[in-house]
Amino acid sequence: MPGTARISLLVGAAAASMAWFSAAADPLPPSATYRPLPTLPLSAVKANDEAEKPQVMRDQQSVLDQRYDLSNNPIPGVMMSGGRKPVQGGVRVKLPAGATWDTLAGMSPDEVRQRGLLPPGFTPLPHVKQATGGQVIPNSQIDEIRTQEGRNLRRFDVDFDLPDTFTPEFPPPIFLSGHPELGDVSRGRLLTIKNYYEMMVGFITPVQMEGLRLLLTPFPQEEFNQTEDRKVEDQSLGITCLDCHSNFHTNAAFHQTPDVRPQAARFRLDTVSLRGLFNQQIHGSKRSLRSVEDFSEFEQRTAYFNGDHMSAQRKGVNLPERHDQTAMLAQMQNAIDFPPAPKLDPAGRLDPSKANERELAGERVFLGKGRCAECHIPALSFLDNNMHDLKLERFYEVGHTVNGLVQLPDGPIKTFTLRGIKDSPPYLHDGRLLTLADCVEFFNLVLSLKLTADEKDSLVAYMLAL
Amino acid sequence: MRALALTPIFALMAAASATAQTGTGNPAAMSPGAAQSAPGMPAPHQANENDRLFVKAVTTGGNAEVLLGQLAEQKGRAQAVKDFGHQMAADHGKANQQLAQLAKAANLPEPSDLDEEHKAMRSQLEQSSGADFDLAYIRGQVADHQKTAQLFEWEIGSGQDPQLKAFASEVLPVVLRHLQMASNIESQLSTTASTPSPPAQRR
Ligand code: HEC
Ligand code: HEC
Repeated sequence: MPGTARISLLVGAAAASMAWFSAAADPLPPSATYRPLPTLPLSAVKANDEAEKPQVMRDQQSVLDQRYDLSNNPIPGVMMSGGRKPVQGGVRVKLPAGATWDTLAGMSPDEVRQRGLLPPGFTPLPHVKQATGGQVIPNSQIDEIRTQEGRNLRRFDVDFDLPDTFTPEFPPPIFLSGHPELGDVSRGRLLTIKNYYEMMVGFITPVQMEGLRLLLTPFPQEEFNQTEDRKVEDQSLGITCLDCHSNFHTNAAFHQTPDVRPQAARFRLDTVSLRGLFNQQIHGSKRSLRSVEDFSEFEQRTAYFNGDHMSAQRKGVNLPERHDQTAMLAQMQNAIDFPPAPKLDPAGRLDPSKANERELAGERVFLGKGRCAECHIPALSFLDNNMHDLKLERFYEVGHTVNGLVQLPDGPIKTFTLRGIKDSPPYLHDGRLLTLADCVEFFNLVLSLKLTADEKDSLVAYMLAL
Repeated sequence: MRALALTPIFALMAAASATAQTGTGNPAAMSPGAAQSAPGMPAPHQANENDRLFVKAVTTGGNAEVLLGQLAEQKGRAQAVKDFGHQMAADHGKANQQLAQLAKAANLPEPSDLDEEHKAMRSQLEQSSGADFDLAYIRGQVADHQKTAQLFEWEIGSGQDPQLKAFASEVLPVVLRHLQMASNIESQLSTTASTPSPPAQRR
C-alpha cells in the first residue's frame, strides 16, 4: 500500500501503526480467491446434485417469476434477422406493488432506495446455481451438438433457466464482412466441427478456415472435462468457442464473470454476440482487454476456467500458439458482420426516405432527450469503446442475497453495440432485461430522463431498425 | 445515525427458507459424512471447515468491534467517531449473540479472546488521543469492514450450515452500511486533517 507511508508522515504515530496492524492481520481464506478441490467423489457429488436439481430449478423459477412477466407476447410482424424467431415485446420487468413507471421516474434515487421500490428485475440476475456456477448451455444447442457430434453438453446439476422465447433465434444467421452481397450464409444450419469445412470452403480464406476449425474444436473446461470435478455424466472432450457463440452470434448461454471473487459476488454473464467484433476496441464487460487476439487467447482461461489458471492447469488447458493460432482465431472472428440494416446510412443515421415517422421520432429521442447517443454513438457502430458506471446502486440497498448471488454495484461496464440489437435478447451484461422496452424503462430511470409513453415507444421502434 | 437493529428472526429460520435466499450449496464442497435433511441438502447446523473458520473469524472480529467501539465512544474527539463507536458496540454486540447461538447449535468452538492484530490495535489506540485517535480508529474500521464484507460473501458461497449462511446473508448489508459510514467519516476527518486520501470504495 504505497498510500500508507505518505499518510503516516502526515498524521504521525497512530497512522504509522496502522500499517503494522494490517501486516499482522490474518488474510482471508484462500478459497475466497482460488477454486477448492472437490471434497467428495464424483458419484456422491452427482447423486447429490441430481437430487437437488428440482429444487434448484424451482428456486430459480421463483426468482424469474418474481422479476418478470414471462408470457409469449411477440411484437406483431417483427422477426429476428434470420426470420426464424419473433421478437418479444412489452415491458416484462414487474413493478413493485403500488408503483407505476411514471411514479418511479418521478422519484429521486434516494427515495426509490429508501422505499425499496426498484423493480427486482432491474437488479443483478443470479446464476441458476450460484455456489457452483459455470457454463450453462440452452437445450437447442445441446440437442444439435448431440445430434451432429455425439458430444454431451447436458449438465446433471442444472438446466438452462430462461424460456426459449427470450433467447436469440437458433441457429442464428451468419453475415460475412468480406461478402455483404451474399447475405446470410448459414443455410439455417449450426456450424460444427463436422460441417464447417464443407459449409465454408470457397467462402472464407485459408487462415479464416483454420481459425474456424479452432473455434469449433472442443477443449477441456471447468464443467466439461475428464476429472471428478465435472458436471457432465461422461468424461467430456470439452466445450468449443461456438458452443456459446453459436454461428458467431450468441445462444444466450451464460456463466459467471471471471473478474470478481468471492464466488457469491460473481455476477452472471450472458454470452455476447461476436458480430461486428472488428469495430470493438475493448473486449469483455469488465476486463476491457484491448484486442480480439488477447481476448481469444485468454478466453481459454476465463470462459473455460473462470479466470483460475490453477484449475485450468489441472483439467487440461489449451493455449493457442500466439503468432499463428491466436491470429487465426482473431481473424476469423473479425470477418463476421452485423446483420444488414437497410434503413441506416453510412454514418449510422436513419435514411429519412426509408425510415417511418415513428422510427425517426425514436432517433430524435435517441440523439436528444434520451441521451443514448452520448455512449451509443451511431457512427461508431453505436459504441463509444468505453466503460461506464451506471450507478444503479443509487436505487437499491446493496449486499442482499438473491438465490445465492450477493447483489453488489455493477461498477464500470463496457458499452454494448446496438447494431442488430433485436437479435440478441436477453439484455445487459447478465441478461437481466428481456426486451428492448425493458431497456428503455431501465435507462429512463438510471438517467432520470422522464420520457413520455410516446417517446419510449418510438425509441423501441428505432432500436428495432438498427 | 439510525441504529441498525439486527433482528433475531434469522436464527429461527428453517433450513428450507434459508436456502431460498442463499441458494443451494455446492455438493462438491460438502464435508464427507455430513448429515442431510434431503439428498444434497445439508441438515440444519451441519458445519463444514469453512463454517468453522467463519465462526472463528467473525467472533474474534465482533468482539474486537465491541471493545474498540466502546473505546471510541469514550476517547473519540469528533462526535461522528463517538457515535460510530457507540453503534459498533451495540450492533456487533447483538450480532455476536446471534452468532454464539448458531455456533452452539452447530457445536462449534467460539474463541473468546482478542486476536493479536486487535490486541495490538487496542493498545495503540489506548496510547493515542485526539485527531490521531479518531483517524487511526476509523481507518482501522474501514479496513476491518472491507475484509468482513469479503469474508461474509465467502461464507455465503462456501459455507455449508444453512443457518450460518443465512446469518451471513442477513448481516452483510449491515456490514456494507457500516463500511459506507466509516468511509464517509474517514473522508471528513481526512479533509479536516488535510490528508490527501480518497474515500475508500468497494470496487
Ligand atoms: C459461456 C460460453 C462461452 C464460451 C465457450 C466462449 N465464450 Fe466468449 N464470451 C462469453 C461471454 C459470456 C462473454 C462476455 C464476457 C464478458 O462480458 O466479460 C464472451 C466474450 C467474448 C469476446 C469479447 C467480445 C467483446 O468484444 O466484448 C470474445 C472475442 C470471445 N468471447 C471469444 C471467444 C472465444 C475465442 C472462445 C473460445 C476460445 C469463446 N469466446 C468461448 C461466453 C463464452
Ligand atoms: C452513460 C452511457 C450510456 C448511455 C447514456 C446509454 N447507454 Fe445503453 N448501455 C450503456 C452500457 C454501459 C451498457 C451495458 C450495461 C450493462 O450491461 O450493465 C448499455 C446497454 C444498453 C442496451 C443493452 C445492450 C445489450 O446488448 O445487452 C441497450 C438496449 C441500451 N443500452 C440502450 C440504450 C438507450 C435506449 C439509451 C438512451 C435512452 C442508452 N442505452 C443510453 C451505456 C449507456
